[in-house]
Amino acid sequence: MKPVFHLHPALYARMLDGLSNLMFTETLGGRRDMGFYHDDLWLSDTAVIENVSRRKGAWEVILLFAHHKTPLKFIRRRITSHSCPKRAHQMAFYMRRLAAKDQRGTLCVDIADFDLSLN
Amino acid sequence: MGTSTKQRILDAAIRLFNESGVANVRLQHIADESGISVGNLAYHFKNKEAIVSSVYERLFEEFAHILASYLLNPTLSDFNQQLTQYYSFFTRYKFYLIDLFEVERSYPNIMDRWHQMVGKMLIQIRKRLDYYVQRGVLQPEPIEGIYDSLTRSIWMSIVFWMPQQVLKGQPTTETHFKQGVWSLISPYMTQRGREEYATEVQPADIMR
Repeated sequence: MKPVFHLHPALYARMLDGLSNLMFTETLGGRRDMGFYHDDLWLSDTAVIENVSRRKGAWEVILLFAHHKTPLKFIRRRITSHSCPKRAHQMAFYMRRLAAKDQRGTLCVDIADFDLSLN
Repeated sequence: MGTSTKQRILDAAIRLFNESGVANVRLQHIADESGISVGNLAYHFKNKEAIVSSVYERLFEEFAHILASYLLNPTLSDFNQQLTQYYSFFTRYKFYLIDLFEVERSYPNIMDRWHQMVGKMLIQIRKRLDYYVQRGVLQPEPIEGIYDSLTRSIWMSIVFWMPQQVLKGQPTTETHFKQGVWSLISPYMTQRGREEYATEVQPADIMR
């Protein structure tokens, strides 16, 4: 019989406690949690970068929006696609200029706003 | 093909262990039951110990799967679903009890695994009671230590319910098995617990 990893009973009990607590702390999401996906108003306050990538034989223009105060509010939108890469890059440049609140592109997102934990 | 023959041998071994007990089953019986020659059997498992070991390996895997289905949903029906799994497990591996003492003597490794599994099962039942108290479906412990005793009683009902029915010469049904376990918990239920039991647990049992 294969030797098996054995978890100490006290640790197992603590793990189950953690699972029980999850039932109280983790709640189901509501419909409004995905509101940012349909409600485009917040996109006017975002830092925007363009991205062109090749997909299914065409060059896709994608814009990435990140809210300048709450960068975790982040969305990626496919705008259009072109068979010519040069044209796709040109289109991406203009679409970004059009979408960004700060047209010169100086608005930037502060990494500290992400509140990253290095644990 | 190899896997399916192995599978067939293990299925036949489980059937025979349930009927006659591990000690009374010989390799020839297993070969006859699985419809292959002893030589072919020896190709897959070198001796009976290897078969017993594989059977228990499968048994422990299934048991671990049952233990893993802890609190998949927050209501009382979660425990009811786990009871369904326990019932089908103990029905499928009846020999666990017939051979308890034989296994203790001849296969100490297996007995160690049993002890670990049983330990986890007891901890899980106890933690479940705590969780139901926290949710307000069970009363807070009325007398200190009584939920520890209740845990042991629930555990005994789950594990030894089937043999006691056999001793009394009465049929074993899943509904009776579950009723036996729930009857231990229900005196400690709050009003909310009783309502939840009536809506979440009882309809599922009536369907059976």
